[in-house]
Amino acid sequence: MTEVIIPIGPQHPALKEPVNFRVVADGEKIVRLELDLSYNHRGIEKAAEQRDFIRVLPLLERVCGICSHSHTTAFAKGIEEIMQLEIPPRAQYIRTIIAELERIHSHLLWLGVAGHEIGFNTLFMWTWRDREAVQDTLEEMSGNRVHYGMNEVGGVRCDLTPAQVRAALARLPLLEERVQKYVGMVNEEETMLLRFRGVGKMTKQEALAYGAVGPTARASGVACDARHEDPYLVYAEIPWEVVTDTHGDVYGRTCVRIGEIQESTKIVRYCLEHLPEGNIRVATPKTAPTGECLSRYEAPRGELVHFIRTNGTDKVERIDIRTPTLANWTSVAMCLTGQNIADIPVIVAAIDPCLSCTSRITVIDDREKKKNAITFDELRERSRARWHAEERS
Amino acid sequence: MIDPLTLNFVTETMKGFGTVEPAGKNRFRITTTPDRLRDAIMHVQAMLGCDRLITVSAVDNSRTLELHYHFTGQHRTVITIATGLSRDKPVLATLSDLLLPAGLYERQIHDLFGISFTGHPSLKKLVLNEDFPENEYPLRKDWKPAPGRSYGGTKERREPL
Amino acid sequence: MDPLLLFIYIFLFPGFLFLFAYALTFEYLDRRIAARMQHRVGPPFFQPFADLIKVLGKEVIDPDGVDRRIFDAAPLIALAAVMTAYLYIPIVGISPLAFEGDLVLVLYLLALPTILLFVLGWLSRNIFSAVGGVRAVTQLFIYEVPFFLALLAPALMAGTWSISGIMVWQQQHLWCLFLQPIGFVVALIGLQAKLERTPFDIPEAETEIVAGPWTELTGRRLALMHLARDASLVCGSALVAALFLGGPQVPWVISPAWLGWIVGFILFLVKTLAVLLILSSIKVATGRIRIDQLNRIGWKYITSAAIVQVAIVLAMNYWWVRA
Repeated sequence: MTEVIIPIGPQHPALKEPVNFRVVADGEKIVRLELDLSYNHRGIEKAAEQRDFIRVLPLLERVCGICSHSHTTAFAKGIEEIMQLEIPPRAQYIRTIIAELERIHSHLLWLGVAGHEIGFNTLFMWTWRDREAVQDTLEEMSGNRVHYGMNEVGGVRCDLTPAQVRAALARLPLLEERVQKYVGMVNEEETMLLRFRGVGKMTKQEALAYGAVGPTARASGVACDARHEDPYLVYAEIPWEVVTDTHGDVYGRTCVRIGEIQESTKIVRYCLEHLPEGNIRVATPKTAPTGECLSRYEAPRGELVHFIRTNGTDKVERIDIRTPTLANWTSVAMCLTGQNIADIPVIVAAIDPCLSCTSRITVIDDREKKKNAITFDELRERSRARWHAEERS
Repeated sequence: MIDPLTLNFVTETMKGFGTVEPAGKNRFRITTTPDRLRDAIMHVQAMLGCDRLITVSAVDNSRTLELHYHFTGQHRTVITIATGLSRDKPVLATLSDLLLPAGLYERQIHDLFGISFTGHPSLKKLVLNEDFPENEYPLRKDWKPAPGRSYGGTKERREPL
Repeated sequence: MDPLLLFIYIFLFPGFLFLFAYALTFEYLDRRIAARMQHRVGPPFFQPFADLIKVLGKEVIDPDGVDRRIFDAAPLIALAAVMTAYLYIPIVGISPLAFEGDLVLVLYLLALPTILLFVLGWLSRNIFSAVGGVRAVTQLFIYEVPFFLALLAPALMAGTWSISGIMVWQQQHLWCLFLQPIGFVVALIGLQAKLERTPFDIPEAETEIVAGPWTELTGRRLALMHLARDASLVCGSALVAALFLGGPQVPWVISPAWLGWIVGFILFLVKTLAVLLILSSIKVATGRIRIDQLNRIGWKYITSAAIVQVAIVLAMNYWWVRA
């Protein structure tokens, strides 16, 4: 075959989100690719300039569906720095717990997607089922499964009761056991090794030069982690380690993410066990003084940066959001050249792309179809009924 | 592990490139002029050991369009190099050859603020839709959507069938 | 054979009607087994039937500039080839249409759907289909050689090219599963690749090339192609069951004859379902490999294994079977 242009996206089974690659391929080999993200720009940065600090948090939470807590925490901690507020330790711990739970469920989600990209749907089904344990914990704590709405400027919205802490702790052993199983699968399952090893390789120098962040960079041996470089919340006080790997390929990225799930589980357990007493928020002034702040936050996908500038009013002058995915695109484009078409999905998925996490709205109209409507719990009971029965027996 | 940089050290090293001021905890900002920007960045990379570009932020402060290049490195200090461009004719030589990841950030800034980066290999629309009107830059402070104007997307057809 | 009986045999039972019903049941079982292994609930029993009827009734969309006649004909030819192949495979006792050499014909007919997939992919003027079609035919060249070799080994051992003849020979000696374990494994791998199931679903890799050659198929074309795939799953399992597991031949003497047929038919069901269970387990337990990896593995290991098996069979023939 001569050179052909294969359009990938903005709607393509490999990418659940709108991005457009134009892959120029020669047979099964990729010659070069072009990138276009313009399918679904939502103008959140502009909209954020029109809202006061109370209203801007729910907006920023909707930048992303998976790392919703990351965006609000990054913003809240930036504004708090400008306002020079001291956040109570209990609120810091609660924020950390939510953040690490979010990392666990995001990485489990990623692991499933990576399995799906190489056609290994069993892994996809299993990880997404196990992810439910984390989702349940988050729902118990915040009342929500996706947009937790836990953050406020000056603290967190709701406290954790002892019962919630106990329930969360009780779920961790099952999670650890399952993750241990995935460690085995990743290291032993032959087709996964075939598809992950040596694919999308990036050296340490390349990772630095292309500005890769998060697990993508850490898999190449760059120990960059905003939690470690620029400690926020309670990361300076609690025991934890940066997970790195030296493989530099998709396999390395998988190992890093699984290692981070284990590390995050430990952090969550430590925080739940050492949760300090006290207030969960402080009184905040309505307006912020003129100032600016570069707020760095380690989202599950990598370093998230909010550049915030205030102008003495109750609105931000400018908020510049640099998502980890944007930082990783350059490295993806470089990684893909010379690879197989068959490897596109898994290499692209390996950075865990989160493009715009678009304004998807589900409207349930149950006025007319009340009989036919199925509630979420019913749906879940249906799909999991047998699993529960097995777990109990 | 290398110790964080101190204000004195940064001031000493960056002498001649502009004013150095602390910008928060473990953050320093160097304000420079557009023509010295490239040299300043190369100097920061070589002398301050800043091997990673965190991001490029753009701000419209109603007088100038500011560009902030945020760097960090092994020392974990964030060095920001700031510069201002005139709002009437914002042109800057591209840095995408020096800083590979800046290529995408520059495309984004070009879309939203209208700063032209001369010499950029493909300064095409990245985040805005391709049918977004030319010469409109939504993140500039004075931008307002013009009524009746199409900003892309499907045209609604309201006439009765 | 009585013309009426022959008519019933070809069209009703165990002919085409049973084939379609069993093929759809197979799809249901395949999906259900996979779902249970993945901790899902899986589809209800009538799902494949409902899907087939629904898709049959859907609009047929012609991509721009496509030769409609070939596009209409290809799924029909594929289905017809599989249905014809089915007639020569023993279902209840020896097939009445069996002749010396039907194994070669069946293998040829079962290879046809893949080639038609390539034709469909190439003709549909869609880049995903074209890539998928090229992959399908590349894969065909890789798995077809070991698959043929593995299925010819029983023929060599039995000294006949008739599937029914091989089955009868196994009755008198031993199942080929025990005599040729390597060949059995290679045959299963080849069958999995032939049916384009994970880890060999390379031509229709969903996340890479949408649905490969299937992308532009709509309406009855899709339904028929799907039915052809399900039917080849039945044919493949039945073929492996007949060549390696003794097929529907009853090891005991049962009278009256009709009772013997029923027992044979039950044996057929059990054996094909066992093969399906193995195929489904492979599907669930693996991810998709790349075409270049399949090329390497296929020629280096699978073909070598098949050749080794044939050599062993020739040696056994010389020292033991013919002796």
